[in-house]
Amino acid sequence: MNEERILLAHGNGGRFMRELIGELFARHLGNPALDTDADAVHLPDLAGDILVTTDGFTVQPIEFPGGNLGSLAVHGVVNDLAVAGAQARYFTLSAIIEEGLEVALLDRLIASFAAAARENGVAVAAGDTKVVRHGEGGGLYLSVAGIGVREATTDLSMKRIAPGDVVLVSGPVGDHGVSVMLAREQFGLSGGLLSDSASVLPLARAAWDLPGLKFMRDPTRGGLATVCHEIAHATGCAVVLDQGAVPVRGEVVAVCEMLGYDPYFLACEGRVVAVATPAAAAEVLARWRALPAGAEAAVIGRIDAGAARLILETELGGRRVLEELEDDPLPRIC
Amino acid sequence: MPDGQARRIRLSGHVQGVGYRPFVYRLARELGVRGWVRNVVGAVEIHAEADAATLAEFTRALVERAPAIARPQPVADRAADFAGHAAFAILASAADSEPDIHVPPDYFTCDDCLRELRDPADRRHGYPFINCTQCGPRYTLITALPYDRPNTSMAGFPLCPDCRAEYEDPASRRFHAEPVACPVCGPHLSYVDAERRIEGDDDALAATVAALRAGRIVAVKGVGGYHLMCDAASDAAVAELRRRKPRPAKPLAVMFPADQALLRASVRLDPEAAALLASPARPIVLLELADAARLSRHVAPGLAEVGCLLPYSPLHHLLLERFGGALVATSGNISGEPVLTDNAEAQARLAPIADAFLHHDRPIVRPADDPVFRPIAGRPRPLRLGRGVAPLELELAEPLAQPVLALGSHMKNAICLAWGRRAVLSPHIGELTAPRSLETLAKVAEDLQRLYRVQAERILLDRHPGYGYRHWVRGSGLPTSEIWHHRAHASALAWEHPEVAEWIVFAWDGVGLGEDANLWGGEAFVGAPGRWQRRAGLRPFRLPGGDKAGREPWRSAAALLWEAGQAAEFAPELLHQAWLRGLNSPASSAAGRLFDAAAALIGVCSQASFEGEGPMKLEALAAAAGAALPATPGLPLARDAAGVWRTDWSPLLAMLADVALAPATRALAFHRAMADALVAQAIRLREETGAGDVGLTGGVFQNRLLTELAVAGLAGTGFRVRLAERIPVNDAGVSFGQVIEHIALCRPTT
Ligand SMILES: [Fe+3]
Ligand SMILES: [Mg+2]
Ligand SMILES: [Zn+2]
Ligand SMILES: [Zn+2]
Repeated sequence: MNEERILLAHGNGGRFMRELIGELFARHLGNPALDTDADAVHLPDLAGDILVTTDGFTVQPIEFPGGNLGSLAVHGVVNDLAVAGAQARYFTLSAIIEEGLEVALLDRLIASFAAAARENGVAVAAGDTKVVRHGEGGGLYLSVAGIGVREATTDLSMKRIAPGDVVLVSGPVGDHGVSVMLAREQFGLSGGLLSDSASVLPLARAAWDLPGLKFMRDPTRGGLATVCHEIAHATGCAVVLDQGAVPVRGEVVAVCEMLGYDPYFLACEGRVVAVATPAAAAEVLARWRALPAGAEAAVIGRIDAGAARLILETELGGRRVLEELEDDPLPRIC
Repeated sequence: MPDGQARRIRLSGHVQGVGYRPFVYRLARELGVRGWVRNVVGAVEIHAEADAATLAEFTRALVERAPAIARPQPVADRAADFAGHAAFAILASAADSEPDIHVPPDYFTCDDCLRELRDPADRRHGYPFINCTQCGPRYTLITALPYDRPNTSMAGFPLCPDCRAEYEDPASRRFHAEPVACPVCGPHLSYVDAERRIEGDDDALAATVAALRAGRIVAVKGVGGYHLMCDAASDAAVAELRRRKPRPAKPLAVMFPADQALLRASVRLDPEAAALLASPARPIVLLELADAARLSRHVAPGLAEVGCLLPYSPLHHLLLERFGGALVATSGNISGEPVLTDNAEAQARLAPIADAFLHHDRPIVRPADDPVFRPIAGRPRPLRLGRGVAPLELELAEPLAQPVLALGSHMKNAICLAWGRRAVLSPHIGELTAPRSLETLAKVAEDLQRLYRVQAERILLDRHPGYGYRHWVRGSGLPTSEIWHHRAHASALAWEHPEVAEWIVFAWDGVGLGEDANLWGGEAFVGAPGRWQRRAGLRPFRLPGGDKAGREPWRSAAALLWEAGQAAEFAPELLHQAWLRGLNSPASSAAGRLFDAAAALIGVCSQASFEGEGPMKLEALAAAAGAALPATPGLPLARDAAGVWRTDWSPLLAMLADVALAPATRALAFHRAMADALVAQAIRLREETGAGDVGLTGGVFQNRLLTELAVAGLAGTGFRVRLAERIPVNDAGVSFGQVIEHIALCRPTT
């Protein structure tokens, strides 16, 4: 294809579209399972406990420090399957492209998508592209369905969580939220902070065989606090986080302090929150810390009997309720 | 058989837990009245037989000669069948179907008990839990009504034969004194520090006094919770308490020996303040320091006033007498939480702060912090309701259609149960950010409903979607009505002055959610409850970092400068960029934030370690300016696009930053400018509405200087000024205001 920018014609079913799919998408994503001419494909080699998930990706800006929309979409879906105990095997990919998007940028994003998929052992089995008019889309939206096979030998379910269990996180929280916010607002300073966008498959896999592991989730939108609220609601227990133990990078703390945000509510794209018995937690921690992505893993809290809420214990002995996110929080100091 | 007439008399009000029945018994015997008296739920019922003249005298004396802490209200007096009783008797309590219940507050130690406490021959000599029908704890130990011993936290202390004899003797001061106790049968002290545990009242007290003398910090269990105590004269001890709590700057209350000699040497004490300090509530009173050398300079750094209180329980009397000096007596809590009441929990949570503990084994059923008053414009004004005041029982001018529970505000939370023509305001609970505050709110809500035998059918709450009780409200399943924050403030004040039909009310505070989705707090309303119209305010500005501005006055200073198109060198560029883009920068018209900004611009407080630190330091600084008359910038007043009168604060910026003026001069000029702006708004609104009664409410009017300047300015231009005397103007009064506003909103429109 010779165009520098995406035209409406790239979405109308004709030559332009054939070229876009063949020369850009299929070039990067080609694999034995992908047949761009078929209406539907058969998935070979799938046996056992099959899991499926789907997610849409709309991040702005589409390229940000430490990642981009393409790799982020792969990580998002791989991670959702990984924390459920499954290895992702196949994707379907639907791309909604805004008229005027630079073809070179699209190429970079899809190449990044393809590389991330390969690294995680996933093949794209089916795809679709649409072009929307200029001003009607954010450059590129990706919608991805993932099909995986369960390999975990422990039953990962919030139902197994009980008072006395402990909470872990695989690394610092809020990197993605802050770096993307700084990039989006074009403050002209990222301070070297990178998104944490990454596959958590190695971390999750490392814990899949532990019977004392109860539950895992990758905290994305709404961050660590929102995962903890989900646990509190589902279990009817209090989730108590130890403020001094939750890893947060200095740059993230500084930006949050300045702008009045709470890092616990900021998105992560490459972290795992796990709940386990104290004994299993020690093992999870040891295994995670042996991995490059888990070097800063930590035990950050516990499950307590009592009202279903999220409580933050400060280093000075204070206890604070972290409310569920509704809208932008309004000041309350009167 | 004696002859004469018979009457059946019923008295309500504070008649239980105050020795009222023994009083009736003694009165009847003195006058020769026969019959009986008994407790019914929430009231006292009397059957009196005598001749007509004696009966009339008896009826009059029932109110006029009642015990000091009793407040009887006759509710019924009718002729009854003459039964020919031979004597007068006290009958057992009767269960009753029509409750008009009054829950007594906790009373200070009476003079009779103090005499016995100090009398070596008395069997309660030096006993820290001495009490009688005229004194002792009530609200904090009642578990259920009617108020009888099994329904108190004294249920676990069976009376010894001596105490039982007094308890059952109608002639005794301790006849049915429910918490009555003595060293044989009652509660005891224990002292615990890192090395030892000392049982026994005398030894535990001696160890406590020794620890305090050695400069240690001791957590002392009192009536409504624990205090953290240390030697108020010791810089090292007070500084250490501040470091550990941590509480770098917030003023600490000081308990002075009961003889008041040290008190009178330390603070300016006029007769009104002295009477307030010694009033039954025995509150903390903010008083001007006279001789700063008497107390550690760390007690109230940067402020000209100190919170003073006198011993109110026998334990405190013994402690202060033995210690022989003033003691810091600050709430034993974690910042923002209700005061701790449980021995084990206090021991665990105060361990990082206290070197030692003085516990006792009388359980505290619910917390009650010390109440706080500040004399402003010639009258004591409540800043916090608590032990000795709460539950504050109030009468409504109009009845409620259904019982309601009003939950008030997020900060300084206090709740209000209201039904019929009655409202009961709880003591201070705390900031609802802490789980313990939410647990206490739930408990107090349940307790009030159980004690008063009323089930709320509706919950009243603030419009703010993020207040800490929202989750609890959703779980209650009750219908709700949401009340605007500043309307609640205005309505609480309006209740205190029912004679005013048409108001101009200034509601100045920190921030509360306003009706245009902005954060209000510098508003002027005209009207009355149920029909407030916001007609004037301050020029809005956007707060960079949202709630962070409440603790970091420099942010409000930057907001004003940026809003006025000026640079703020002290603020980071990242924040400016975020502010320009509207990131977490909600618009506000709050006077409280304007005071914060002024404190930061003058340089007295750019980071606050507690809510209100900036304004408090600014006021103290201004008060030190003496009689100097600074040039006060006039602030333009003009209508905005919506027709609301807006005061433009921007002329203040140059004056506040003018280093040619002394900081104290600038602080005073700022106060004057704000008071003048208020008066100018009031004049405009009077021109438009004809209203001549001005009310001042909201936390900003805890500022004595501002309030007195505004009162003088308003009075000088012919306004009648109305201030609060019973309900705190800060957010502690919001729940009661919600009730008043709700009643008015429910009133059928004509
Ligand atoms: Fe308020
Ligand atoms: Mg997802
Ligand atoms: Zn007494
Ligand atoms: Zn006894």
